[in-house]
Amino acid sequence: MLEDLDRIGPVLILMVSAGGILLVDLALHERDRRWLPFGALAGLAAAAIWTVVLILRGREAVVFSGTYSLDSFSIFFNFLFLGVAGLVVLASADHVRRLRYQGEFWTLLLLATTGMMLLAGARDLILIFVALELTSISQYVLAGFLKDDRSSEAGLKYIILGAIASAVILYGMAFLFGISGTTKLVAPEGQASIFALIAQGESGTRAALFAAMVMLGAGFSFKVALVPFQMWVPDVYEAAATPVAAFLSVGSKAAGFAVLLRIFYEGFGPDSFIGSDWSNLFAAFAVVSMTVGNVMALLQTNIKRMLGYSSIAQAGNIAIGVAAIAASGGGVSLGASGVTFFLATYVFTNLGAFFAVIVISQRLGSDAIAGYAGMGRRAPLLAAALAICLVSLTGIPPTAGFVAKLYIFNAAVQSDLVWLVIVGVLNTAVSAYYYLRIVSHMYVSPAPDEGDIVPSPWLAAALLTTSVGVVAIGLVPFPLIKAAERAASALG
Amino acid sequence: MQLLFDNYVAVLLATIIGSILVLSALLASRLLAPFSESRQKRTTYECGMVPIGRVRTQVHIRYYLFAILFLIFDVEAVFLFPWAVTFVDIGPVAFYEMVLFILILGSGLVYAWKKGVLQWK
Amino acid sequence: MEAVTQQIPLEHFLVLSAILFSLGVYGVLTRRNAVLILMSIELMLNAASVNMVAFAAYTSPEQFIGIIFAIFIITIAAAEAGLALAIILRIFRYRKTANVDEIDELKW
Repeated sequence: MLEDLDRIGPVLILMVSAGGILLVDLALHERDRRWLPFGALAGLAAAAIWTVVLILRGREAVVFSGTYSLDSFSIFFNFLFLGVAGLVVLASADHVRRLRYQGEFWTLLLLATTGMMLLAGARDLILIFVALELTSISQYVLAGFLKDDRSSEAGLKYIILGAIASAVILYGMAFLFGISGTTKLVAPEGQASIFALIAQGESGTRAALFAAMVMLGAGFSFKVALVPFQMWVPDVYEAAATPVAAFLSVGSKAAGFAVLLRIFYEGFGPDSFIGSDWSNLFAAFAVVSMTVGNVMALLQTNIKRMLGYSSIAQAGNIAIGVAAIAASGGGVSLGASGVTFFLATYVFTNLGAFFAVIVISQRLGSDAIAGYAGMGRRAPLLAAALAICLVSLTGIPPTAGFVAKLYIFNAAVQSDLVWLVIVGVLNTAVSAYYYLRIVSHMYVSPAPDEGDIVPSPWLAAALLTTSVGVVAIGLVPFPLIKAAERAASALG
Repeated sequence: MQLLFDNYVAVLLATIIGSILVLSALLASRLLAPFSESRQKRTTYECGMVPIGRVRTQVHIRYYLFAILFLIFDVEAVFLFPWAVTFVDIGPVAFYEMVLFILILGSGLVYAWKKGVLQWK
Repeated sequence: MEAVTQQIPLEHFLVLSAILFSLGVYGVLTRRNAVLILMSIELMLNAASVNMVAFAAYTSPEQFIGIIFAIFIITIAAAEAGLALAIILRIFRYRKTANVDEIDELKW
């Protein structure tokens, strides 16, 4: 029992610090609340240190009778989510200081991170569902956190559509449970598990399995914002506070894809009789997501909405990797490590873009793309940081986004999905137009206003981390690629 | 089908006997009680105040917070019942786990209390 | 329990849950009032619970996994409904309406 608790220590620490912040906040005076972000950072740091200690002691194991697996995959995502949460704490410290409910904000942020970390390690349908709801419910509240009309509307849309997605996922899970008699995705030899059942081959369960696959695929596509389940994304990104939108865009996407890999790669298996079915499902998602996301992003005049549609298109890129897993047919899959690696680079790139938007929007008082004209002269460093991230989102060297796209396209080629790569490259060309339009706007167009824009120390630190990360991964990608491949090998 | 409905025979009997009891009580009062018709008899409360306003009233929105608080402990009971019948077999771990669970919920109540949810303003 | 599982085939429960789920989807798609949409979602969640419990009783009666799952569904559905109602209340305060087709400030 204590052995098991030791292995989910990072998760427990986050939970305790989330609850602690909520209760401490009750006793604090208004002026002392500015110390709360340090509490959140301390909790995240403690969780990261605990994870490092677990690695050093070589404690990887499957715990709680097979429900949670501490392996290189969940460790990779532990660090990823802790990093995301840490950067978002830095970026939202100023924003939160103006809010009435400060302790609640930090608590929800930490709880959402807790749920994501549990999701990445979950190997049991019940834990997946509970962790998913822990993340989602925290995010619903965060999306509707601002005391205004639009934020509430975004929260309502998010929770209604999210609850429908949860119900669909649950119905799919019920079918999986019905045909296998267990909720375990994988189990040791000789015990019942979903993987073992599917590996046995077709035995009159194909229809139920197919229904379960489509329902789980559709439900989780909502969480990672794949078309046609993307309706909430632009609205929520536009109306929620920008730091929250940044958190949603990378956090829920990474968690969603992590659990998709767990269910489809680890549970359903790439070379089972249903493998080609789910490969085709995600190939279709990838094509429509990239196309719809990019075309709609072209039309936007609000930068947060544009980033929303861009994140839909990027989800399509990642789905190429998921489709490539099954088609590769056994062995360590480039597709799975591609998804993992792409998510890591996407965290730096997209967070960086959102952080720059936070600073600029705060000063301009609006999110209109037109306001970015001449930013290269008004705020050279800030514009450079945003430009690096936009270039990386397009996928141009020498940035992280380029390496990630190359890796994932290569995985697709290896799996004989050349047509998917062609669609991806065409879409990259379309996306270059709207990403680089902003870059040229910042450097070529004259500035309507003068006056420097200086980020606060918190945001400057966050921006520096993301920009350096994007360029560093672009120049020296191999350590991270190695880590991603190690993480993915835990699933295969 | 025989087996399935065996358990319901008792329910059926209870329904029939219950109906007979109620009907006979109503009938008896109808037959035995003296019966006088007057205007006073027709008011809503014969020996109370005359009611004001409509019958259908809206519940104040402030009850919503109480309903949510109630919901926490209502749902807690869902976990308490299965635990109550088995925790002796499972051992002390189950006991302490449930204590922890209730403490977490309790801290939620403390939070609501400190935020002034329980005050009727 | 023995008696029921022997006399009513599993399919009846599956059809019941499929009907419940379809009613829920229909309600979500056709209702305008946010509260009614919420109730329809509740119907979908309950359909999944019915499925879980039925499968648990028929396929693995000696284990309780399906029933435990159903308990978790009930709890989390309650949490979700509580939160959604709170958000609807906030919107009602701003807009004086809970109809989703009138809550349309954010578009495309």
